Amino acid sequence: MNKKLLVLLPVLTLLASGLAGCGGDNNNKENQPNESSAASTETKSPSGPPTTLTVEVFDRGIQGQPDLNNNTWTRYINEHFGKPNNAVVKFVPVPRSQEIDKLNVMMAAGEAPDISFTYDSATVSRYAKINGIMPLEELLEKYGQDLKNYLGETVLTYGQFNGKQMAIPAKRTSLAWIGSFIRKDWLDKLGLPVPTNRDELYNTLVAFRDKNPGGVDGVIPWGLAATGMNYGTGNLAESFWGEQSEEDFVTSPNWLKPGNKESLKFLNKLYNEKLISPDFALDKTAKQADADVTNGKVGFFSANWDYAFRQNISEPLKANVPDANFIPIDTFKNDEGKYKKMIYNENGLNVFIPKSSKNAELAIKYLNWMANPDVLFFLQYGEEGVNHKTVDGIPQVIAQTGDNMQMSPQNLDYTLVVNGVELGDQEKNIKALSASYAGLEETAEQSYKINTTDGYTSFFYDTPNDANIKYGKTLGDLNKQMTDKLIVCKPSDFDSLYDKLVDEYMAAGGKAVMEENVKIYEAMQANKK
Amino acid sequence: MKAVLGRDSQRVEIRRKNRIVQNIKRDFLLYALLLLPMAYIALFRYAPIYGVLMAFQDYNIFQGISGSEWVGLDVFRFIFEQDSFYRALTNTLVLNLLDLVAGFPAPIILAILLNELRFTRFKKLTQTVLYLPHFLSWVIIGGMVYLMFSSGGMANTILSGLGLGKIEFLSDKTNWLIMYVAVGIWQSAGWGTILYLAAMIGINKDLYEAADIDGCSRIRKIWHITLPGIKPTIIILLILQIGRMVSIGFDRPFVMGNSLVSDYSDVISTYVYRIGIGSGDFSQATAVGLFQSVVGLLFLVSANYVAKKIGENGIW
Repeated sequence: MNKKLLVLLPVLTLLASGLAGCGGDNNNKENQPNESSAASTETKSPSGPPTTLTVEVFDRGIQGQPDLNNNTWTRYINEHFGKPNNAVVKFVPVPRSQEIDKLNVMMAAGEAPDISFTYDSATVSRYAKINGIMPLEELLEKYGQDLKNYLGETVLTYGQFNGKQMAIPAKRTSLAWIGSFIRKDWLDKLGLPVPTNRDELYNTLVAFRDKNPGGVDGVIPWGLAATGMNYGTGNLAESFWGEQSEEDFVTSPNWLKPGNKESLKFLNKLYNEKLISPDFALDKTAKQADADVTNGKVGFFSANWDYAFRQNISEPLKANVPDANFIPIDTFKNDEGKYKKMIYNENGLNVFIPKSSKNAELAIKYLNWMANPDVLFFLQYGEEGVNHKTVDGIPQVIAQTGDNMQMSPQNLDYTLVVNGVELGDQEKNIKALSASYAGLEETAEQSYKINTTDGYTSFFYDTPNDANIKYGKTLGDLNKQMTDKLIVCKPSDFDSLYDKLVDEYMAAGGKAVMEENVKIYEAMQANKK
Repeated sequence: MKAVLGRDSQRVEIRRKNRIVQNIKRDFLLYALLLLPMAYIALFRYAPIYGVLMAFQDYNIFQGISGSEWVGLDVFRFIFEQDSFYRALTNTLVLNLLDLVAGFPAPIILAILLNELRFTRFKKLTQTVLYLPHFLSWVIIGGMVYLMFSSGGMANTILSGLGLGKIEFLSDKTNWLIMYVAVGIWQSAGWGTILYLAAMIGINKDLYEAADIDGCSRIRKIWHITLPGIKPTIIILLILQIGRMVSIGFDRPFVMGNSLVSDYSDVISTYVYRIGIGSGDFSQATAVGLFQSVVGLLFLVSANYVAKKIGENGIW
C-alpha cells in the first residue's frame, strides 16, 4: 500500500500544481512579497520592504552583451535611484525585432512592465483608445516637474491623444533619419565625380557594374535588402513627388502621390539592368546586404544616416577592404532643385504606464530622476577614462565589452527620456554625436548636415485614427510587398501591376485610413482658427 | 414473473456496478496514471475553448472576456469582406492540396522501398538519415534553402557553371510552389514512414512465403500483399490529413515565403499572426481560427463518411 501511495503522490502533486497554474495571478501576488522581503534584508531599508519597479528594455542580441539586468548601468540606477526611494528597479528584456508582438501579449496578460515604451505611436494610440494605459497629466504635475521642464511643451504634445497626456515622448536631439552612401575610392578609381542627381547616379552605377572598380566577384552597384529593413531607397521617392497642397500631402498614402509611380519605375529599371542586389527581396533580415557591404561588393546604398559609420559595418569593412571609403552624398534632387527628405520630429520613443501597474507614482519619479543632467551624462557616457575620454570639451565614447558595454548608441535603451546625445547644447550634441564614430568623425558630421538639409517631418495627428489602428499592420505589410514586387517585375508589366496593387491597397484599408486622416486633419485646422 | 424479471435485471445492474468498482479497485494505479493525460487534455485542450467567445465580442485586452462588448457576428461579417482573408484561405487550400497530392504518397513509397531492403544495417542507417530532417526547425531549413537556392546559391552556381543559366527558385511564384512542396516532402517523408513500417510488420509472413512458392515477382507481392496490408492505415491517415486541409503550420510558409511570392505564401496562419499578435486584434484572429476549425471538422466528417461508404474503417 505504501508503495502504491508513493507512486500516486507525484501524480497528484503534478495535477495540483497544474490546476494551481490556472490562478496565475494569485501565484504572482504570493511570490512578490517573498522576493522583496529577501531583498530588503540586504538593503536594510528602514521603511519596510522595497517596491519593485519594472522597466522595459530592448534586447538587441548584441554579441558579447552583459546581463541586461546586472551591468554597470543597472547597478548605477539601483544605487542612485533605487536606494534613496526604497525601490528595486528590475529590467524586463523585450526582443527588439518583436517589440510590438511581445508588448501586445504582455499588455493582454496584465504583465507589462510599469514603464513600457514603443517607437510606434499607433500602438500607443490603440492602447489609449481601449483604455489600457494611464493618463499622466496629474502624475506629471505632482512628481515630474523636472521632467516636464526638460522635455518642454512641444515634445510633450506628441504624447497627447484626444487632448490627454497618455504617453511621455522622449526628446530627440538628433533629427537626421536616412542617408545615402557611395564608395569614394571607387569613384576616384574611375575618375568620376560625386553624383548630385539621379541621372548622374544612374551613370555611376552603370560604370560600377561594367568596370567593377573593386575587382570583386559579383559587384553590386546598389545594395538593397527586403523593404522594411535598414536598407532602403533613401529619399528617391521624394525627388519624384510633384506638388501637392499640404492637406493632400499629409493625408494621402505615398502610393497616390504624383510622381511616386515614376520613382518605382526608376528602381524597376535599375533592378532589371542588374544594378540592384539580385536577391534583395529574399533578404528578410538584411544579413546578406550587410555581408555584401562589408565584403566590399557594394558601391552605393541608402540606410540610416549613420549606417556606414556604425561599428558593425565600418570595422569589418576596414578589415576586409582597407581602402574602402563610404562618403555621405545627396543625390536625389527634385524638380525644384531641392533634396527633400524626411527627418525625425523632436520626439523619440513613447513611454507609457499600463493600467495594470501599481507603481505609477514611482515610475514618474524614476523618469523625473533621469531628466537630471548628471544622471543622463553618466548613463550616456559612463565614467571618464573607462567609457569616454574628453577631447576639446567633447566626450568621446570608448567602445567597451562586457559589463561596461553600451548595447545601443548613447545607451538609448536605458535612457528613456532622450534619444540622442544630451549635453544641454544642440551644437555640442552634434559634435559629440559625430565623435562617437571613432575615426570617421568628420564624415559623420558631414552626413548629419546633409541629412538634415531640406528636411520635412511627418505630420502629427492629435487624434487616434481608428482605421489606422484596424488596418495599419496589414497596410504596412502590403507596403513592403508592393515595393518589392514592383522593383522586381518585368518592365513591360510595371504599369498595370502598379495600378492593380494600388487598387488593392486602397481596398484593403488604404482608403479608409485616408478618409479618416482627412477628417482629423480638417478638425485640427478648424480648431486652430 | 414480472417481479422475478425485475429482480434479475436489478441484479445484473448491481453486478455491473460492482464490476466497475472492482475494476477500478484492482487497477487504480493505472487509472491514476491516466489522470495526468486527462488533466492535460482538459486543461490545455478544453479549458481554452471558452476563448472562442472573443470571436463574438469587440474584445478589449484590458477588460477581458467578461468586460468586453458583445457584437454578435460583426467580426465575421468584417472578415468575410476582406480580400486578404480569401487570399489566405485559397492559398491554404492550394498549398495543402499540393501537399496532399505530392506529399501524401511519398512516405508510402518510401516505406515500401525500405521494407524491400534485405541488408538490415543499411536499412537502419537509411531510416535514421531519412528521419533526421524532421528534427530540424523550419528556421534552419529556411536558411539552408536560401543558401542553396537563392540566385547566388549553390544550385544556381552549378547551373550557371554548366552554362544552363540561372533559375529563380524562390522568387518566381510557380517555382516557389514546387520548392515549398519539395522541401516539405524532404522534411517529413522519412518521419511519415514510421506508421507504415509498423503496419507492414503486422502483415502475415506466410502470405509472402505462399506468394514465393507461387512464383510471384517483387512488384506483384508489393501490389497484392503489402499495399492491401497497409490499406487501413493509409485510409485513416488520409482522413486525418483531409481534416487538416484548412489548417496549416505557421513556420513553413512564414519562413519560406517572401514578399515576391506573397500571392501564394500568405496563408491563414500568417494572416492570424498578423492581425492577432501583430495588430492586437484578438477578436478577428479568434474568429478566423474558429472558422478554420469548423471547416476542418466538416472536411473530416465528410472524408470519414466517404471512407465508410466505400467499405473502409473510418476513424470512428
